[in-house]
Amino acid sequence: MTSNDKIYYREGIPVPETPAAENSPDFWKKTTIVGKALPRVDAYDRVSGTALFPSDILLPNMIYGVILRSPHPHARVKRIDIAEAQKMQGVRAIITGESAEAKGITWQYRDQQVPLFDPHCRFEGEVVAAVAADTWYQASDAARAIKVDYEILAFVADYEKALDEGAARVQDKGNLLNEETYERGDIKKGLAQADLVLEETYHTPCELHTPLELHGCVANWERDRLTIWESSQGVYAVQAKIAQALALPLSKIRVKGHYMGGGFGSKLSPGKYTVICSLLAKKTGRPVKLLLSREETYLCVGNRPATTMRLKAGIKKDGTLTALEFECSGPSGAYPAGGAQLVDWLARDLYQCDHVRTSSKDVLINAGPARPFRAPGHPQGAWALEQMIDALAAEIGMDPVELRLKNIPLRSQARAENPPYTTTGLRQCLEEGAKEFKWQATLKEIRNHNRKEGHRKRGIGVGACLWIAGGGGPPSTVILKMYKDGSINLNMGASDIGTGTKTVMAQVAAEELGVNPQVIQIEHADTATTQFATPSGGSKTVPTEAPTVRNAAISLKRALLAMAAEDLEVAMEELEYVGDEIVWSKDRTKKIKVTDVSRLNRRGEVIGVGYRGPNPADKVVNPFAAHFCEVEVNTLTGEIEILRFLGVHDSGRVMNRLTFDNQVYGGIVMGIGLGLTECRQLDESQTGKLCNKNWHDYKLPTALDVPQAMTSLAVELDDPECNNTGAKGLGEPVTIPTAAALANALYMATGVRFTRAPISPMAVTRELSKKKKG
Amino acid sequence: MLPTFSYVRPDKLEQAVKHLETERAAIHAGGTDLLGCLRERIMDTRLLVSISGIKELSGIKEIAGGGLRIGALTTISAIAENKLVRDKYPGLARGAAEVASPQLRNQGTLGGNLCQKPRCWYYRGEFHCLRKGGNRCFALKGENQFHAIFGHDNICVFSHPSDTAPVLVALGADVHVLGPSGKRTIAVADLHVLPADDVLADTVLKQAEIITHITIPAPARHLYTSYRKVRARRSWDFALAGAALALVMDGPRVARAKVVLSGCAPVPWPSIAAEQVLTGRNLTPEIMAKAARAAVAAAKPLAGNEYKVAMCRGMLEEELQKAGQGGSR
Ligand SMILES: Cc1cc2nc3c(=O)[nH]c(=O)nc-3n(C[C@H](O)[C@H](O)[C@H](O)COP(=O)(O)OP(=O)(O)OC[C@H]3O[C@@H](n4cnc5c(N)ncnc54)[C@H](O)[C@@H]3O)c2cc1C
Ligand code: SF4
Repeated sequence: MTSNDKIYYREGIPVPETPAAENSPDFWKKTTIVGKALPRVDAYDRVSGTALFPSDILLPNMIYGVILRSPHPHARVKRIDIAEAQKMQGVRAIITGESAEAKGITWQYRDQQVPLFDPHCRFEGEVVAAVAADTWYQASDAARAIKVDYEILAFVADYEKALDEGAARVQDKGNLLNEETYERGDIKKGLAQADLVLEETYHTPCELHTPLELHGCVANWERDRLTIWESSQGVYAVQAKIAQALALPLSKIRVKGHYMGGGFGSKLSPGKYTVICSLLAKKTGRPVKLLLSREETYLCVGNRPATTMRLKAGIKKDGTLTALEFECSGPSGAYPAGGAQLVDWLARDLYQCDHVRTSSKDVLINAGPARPFRAPGHPQGAWALEQMIDALAAEIGMDPVELRLKNIPLRSQARAENPPYTTTGLRQCLEEGAKEFKWQATLKEIRNHNRKEGHRKRGIGVGACLWIAGGGGPPSTVILKMYKDGSINLNMGASDIGTGTKTVMAQVAAEELGVNPQVIQIEHADTATTQFATPSGGSKTVPTEAPTVRNAAISLKRALLAMAAEDLEVAMEELEYVGDEIVWSKDRTKKIKVTDVSRLNRRGEVIGVGYRGPNPADKVVNPFAAHFCEVEVNTLTGEIEILRFLGVHDSGRVMNRLTFDNQVYGGIVMGIGLGLTECRQLDESQTGKLCNKNWHDYKLPTALDVPQAMTSLAVELDDPECNNTGAKGLGEPVTIPTAAALANALYMATGVRFTRAPISPMAVTRELSKKKKG
Repeated sequence: MLPTFSYVRPDKLEQAVKHLETERAAIHAGGTDLLGCLRERIMDTRLLVSISGIKELSGIKEIAGGGLRIGALTTISAIAENKLVRDKYPGLARGAAEVASPQLRNQGTLGGNLCQKPRCWYYRGEFHCLRKGGNRCFALKGENQFHAIFGHDNICVFSHPSDTAPVLVALGADVHVLGPSGKRTIAVADLHVLPADDVLADTVLKQAEIITHITIPAPARHLYTSYRKVRARRSWDFALAGAALALVMDGPRVARAKVVLSGCAPVPWPSIAAEQVLTGRNLTPEIMAKAARAAVAAAKPLAGNEYKVAMCRGMLEEELQKAGQGGSR
């Protein structure tokens, strides 16, 4: 991304600037610790259970909060009767919209402000009341005992009908939230230039975030100071939002993150529950723990919106793309949440094409608001675009890998001024991937196999992508402290959301300071003791924080050089930091061990501060990828077996081979969920309620649904311009082309274009029967 | 959150029966299904009577004549792994192995598996449907892609979740029950109740009756058994379509055929039509295809599960092909 890109993970939080980075070092040519497959610095704590997650927090006198939620997708609260609930054992506080504590307190759904307890409930799961009691069971029982009179209102649950005449209105101003268009070139001309034009409509389902740790927090007041332990991707985002809701000075809110059990975008910001928990804690004078149930998280704290996409594409016989016309629509839910955000980005920017027009419609329905979901918009867009590219290739008789190679741009066509990418490894991803996968040989083998009789057919598929962000950037501030014994404290505001951020940062500091990563202790994700960081999301944490850590190490080294200059009685500029020693460049026998530096020993510690410098002014930093897979389909039963998967990624420098491969495997698994198994099911025609709010009905892929043969290949291009580490983001591209690659493989196996995800055995049998009937 | 209930764990069968005569009491075996039902407030249970302390309810033994006696408390994984079961009725071992997930198989019991409640998502959700005493079936006009294509009579359209029941029906097994008025024996084929007969009952068991064990008749010579399950994901998922086969072979000829479908009806669904096609015939490709077609000829799919007809036919055809290749086993 460029510094001008507006990006979702900063939405709703004020982002300060950081001071300019001084003395930012040059790109590393060679590294010894960075890039190694080092196990995680916190692996032992995670595995042994000594790692404390917000869900584990247990404070003296702590009590429990539970929220009563609307069971209806659209209703107005007429009356709430808490008399009976209030008398129940263990109950210490009940808050409703009528309570003094809640008066005047509002919540922001993006740019829309609503009362915290809004009597107008626009989705199933909207908050109605809250209880705090001595035990979780007592609080739950009391919440159930609250009697609510609802006026039930007409609802709309099917986003494809949200704009129909007569559809129930989610909000007074109507159900069309936002319409955005983009155009370059002249689409008519582009279509006229084409030798072949194809058009198709594609659908992706609504996916539900399923991090292992539930959403929730513990809140505790010490007089006027509030401390919140929240399972969050960014403690500063929580602090800002709660300060705004409770009208408190930032200094009076301390948010601690530390360990957290996954978010995938749904924990970029806090929820109403965080405010409610704080209010309950205030009212009772006790620490309160409020964790949502899985059912609640499935209803209220986010989803990847469903999308309908129509794509019309023109191509010349030689494979030149001449036109892409892309229309999409998707639902934000009951409040603005970016229902169709970024869905068209790949159509705009992935392939060289002069004539492009896109339009996106964001609509309202009576369902929980969306939240960013790993690579917002992109897997959906890839589902359409990458299947279309495949179909075009088949029609003009070109290999699908070849066709993609033919249309690789070196500049971002969708951004103003068409800035070039610092690096684009898309070509390498496709070429090296095809080689590693044995694309050509497998193709022949499969053609032979499928010509034979038998009901098991095979196919291979490819999909490619870029990710709009992934360059990171300011702000970020990191402080490194070296003690006189050479051990180190690394202090950063960013959260490690399970991706291995801490490990990578320890490697960066160790690389520069010549220490063993083991002696580095990391303090992070605490608004009281660390510096501002944007939430960990958008595949930007490594490219944001790693250069900052490096700058902090340089600052620390400079301080040490100045001190050593006193001991060695030479000019500081003539000293070099080599391993754990400081050496005089004029006579290398004149040197001192860092831990022997006198002033360090007198002071006991020395500090280095690093700031994140800006990204290159007129260039774009994006990661690229290609996925390849092979499947076998049982045409009698519709069952699909994925035989193998290959993820090839250009994310610049590989900072840690283990965490890198982990992201790739995890992203593929998640993409398999989108392609084959996951789908939120609302009871659209009757009640509008969620049918599958548990782990059995909402089908995440299991270990048996993912292939044992998964391979991760890194295209490691030197990218000295992106930042001083050369690392680009990885966490999101890993799940973008996955589902589309599967659909393409399934086309080869069955001859059916599965335009609607997920491709379950149900869908396969349905489509194959249709095909048979003709 | 679970509702409030009392809990007893007697070690004598008779005591358990006594406790169960209390109003709103329920048997707690492995609890894998029951606790979920309580959490979803499907039934208003006040007393849980755990039978897990009653030793005589566990274990697998050979009985006179060569059949098996399986205690109701025997875990699903014990059945899947047991050598006697695997030797005599590989189809039952397969059925057990196809249940749920490893953790659930280690905890869940055979008695509980036969008596588990419907998995219809309306029934398990906050919908007061017909089977819970309400006045409508939400699945009939709603989201019914996982529902039944046989035997629902447009009353209550769930498909029975058990993977062991279809095999036991195919094998002609019996459940043995102890209740306040003594012992009785019921064919597994008669255990489950069709919606048309009583939409509120899952099984014919009466209040306070406990399944103590299951007996399976000795395998006939040249008995071939199998179980096949198609599902939306490969573990921890119920059948979209499945079939238990018990074929007594006489050379290439099928002397006796039992075909029981799962995932297709509110009870394990014997496919008489397929059995008739197969009985007395050689397992030729034509006969197999014909039997598979016959099995679904009378299907009554709902708006969302038309696919099950083709899936069920395809699955059965493939299973019969395997039987044909496996010959007499
Ligand atoms: C997520 C999930 C997935 C599953 N997937 C599958 C699947 O794919 N295939 C499948 O077949 N099953 C599946 N099951 C069901 C599982 O196999 C059953 O829950 C288990 O076998 C029940 O055994 P239990 O001992 O835990 O029964 P419990 O939960 O203790 O009891 C279940 C019911 O049976 C009654 N009961 C128990 N024992 C007796 C007895 N001896 N006599 C009379 N009544 C009794 C109880 O009162 C209760 O109503 C799944 C369950 C879950 C939770
Ligand atoms: S199928 Fe049966 S259990 Fe499901 S909603 Fe209808 S009546 Fe209830």
